[in-house]
Amino acid sequence: MQNNKTKIYTVSQINSLIKGILDNNLPRRLTITGEITDWKLHSSGHCYFSLKDENSTLPCVMWKSSFARVKFQPENGLAVLGTGFIDVYVPHGRYQLIVDRLIPAGVGALQLAFEQMVKKLQAQGLFDEAHKQPLPEYPERIGILTSESGAAFEDIKDSIWSRWPCVKLFLYPVPVQGEGAAEEIAEGLRDINRRNRKLKLDILIVGRGGGSLEDLWAFNEEVLARVIFDSKIPVISAVGHEIDTTVADLVADARASTPTKAGVVAVPDMQKVLGDLESYQSSLNNNITLCLRYAEQQFDESAGNIADAVKEFLAERRERLYRSFEQIVKIEPHQLLGKVRDDLNHLKNRVSTTIQTIVNKHRIQLTAQSNLLTGLNPKSVLKRGYSITTNKKTGRLIRKLEDVQIADDIITELVEENLIESKVTNKQNRIE
Amino acid sequence: MAKNEKKNDINKLSFEDAIKKLGSIVQKIEQGEIPLQDSLAQYEKGMALIKHCRGILQKAEKRIEKITEEKKTGDRSQKTE
Repeated sequence: MQNNKTKIYTVSQINSLIKGILDNNLPRRLTITGEITDWKLHSSGHCYFSLKDENSTLPCVMWKSSFARVKFQPENGLAVLGTGFIDVYVPHGRYQLIVDRLIPAGVGALQLAFEQMVKKLQAQGLFDEAHKQPLPEYPERIGILTSESGAAFEDIKDSIWSRWPCVKLFLYPVPVQGEGAAEEIAEGLRDINRRNRKLKLDILIVGRGGGSLEDLWAFNEEVLARVIFDSKIPVISAVGHEIDTTVADLVADARASTPTKAGVVAVPDMQKVLGDLESYQSSLNNNITLCLRYAEQQFDESAGNIADAVKEFLAERRERLYRSFEQIVKIEPHQLLGKVRDDLNHLKNRVSTTIQTIVNKHRIQLTAQSNLLTGLNPKSVLKRGYSITTNKKTGRLIRKLEDVQIADDIITELVEENLIESKVTNKQNRIE
Repeated sequence: MAKNEKKNDINKLSFEDAIKKLGSIVQKIEQGEIPLQDSLAQYEKGMALIKHCRGILQKAEKRIEKITEEKKTGDRSQKTE
């Protein structure tokens, strides 16, 4: 009676049988919803926990390799969807869910991971305004860390140069998505910071174009956030579309909502700066014009003072002139002339009188002399009855007896050329 | 000579330094902090700064250089534009 005979199984047999039944009858993969409880991350890297609902719990295991793909941080009480297969652990006679994919229920895993990362870094002060470095107003050298082939680089470049062409750009090519992208971007930032004494970059921009949360994931990773926080060079994040916010956006010193807005954040507007220069110039011009007007006014005032002074001076001189004129008029020139004429006449009279006197005096003297001379002329004595006798023969005056001989002819000259001729008849001296 | 030196100094300024200097001169002038006798000198300095700034903007050329990780490629940088 085999039927009546109770079949005896060994423990191993029954556990193996159960394993076979479960393996054959349950779907190869199944997804179970529940709340995490008894979460334990073993030092081996494997995770041990349970999923539970109101009435029941299910033991779960997640191997290290699977856990590495989980972006968020699993924790007790978290509603999740665990996907995997039910396995019977034959040695213990236990069945458990081998989880290879764990995602938050309701909200996406990445979304959750993002929220968790934000919470963590916020608590550590990485987003504090106090740590934000100011951007230079007029940067000269900007480093851009993005994909060399992506549209983001062109967008960033154009948005910068359309506003401010006098900045030199330095492209540092990095992968912006996929495994290891965050590490590479982080290493790029570190590398530039190390070399910046030479590179002299004054702003760094990290960014990429839009994509899914997964595409943007590198910019949510802690390794990148830490390096952005540590960068000595101010960092601008320019990631994804307007609506996307990444951890990099929060930790960066400034954020551009998209790569096309990077220019607005990073550089000044050339047109505005030209306008500023224009207004500075007109301000300077206005001021200098004002100064010149002021100087002119001062000059005018001085000139007015000088003119007044000159007028006053002239008026005073004119006054003096009038006074002098009046005095001159009082002098009556005709009277003055009359007096001079009188003086002159008087002088003339005096002179002529004097001259007359002198002439008269001289004339008298001359007459006297003349008379004297007349007296000396031998012939003038003839008028007074004297006569001159000459020897006719010798023609000499007869002054002594010896001057004539008896019988000589003598001529006696009388006044007015009258001559008498006679003959000497006698000679005698009366004294004898 | 002193004037030339001053001019050279201005030409050595970065755009940022130049426009900030300019801004402070204009501000001082507008607030009447500059005595009349200094006005002309400040005016000349301001005008030189404006000229320098405009010169920088006019000379602007769009240049890109590519930098790569030092340990991989050495310090080779490559000009692309």
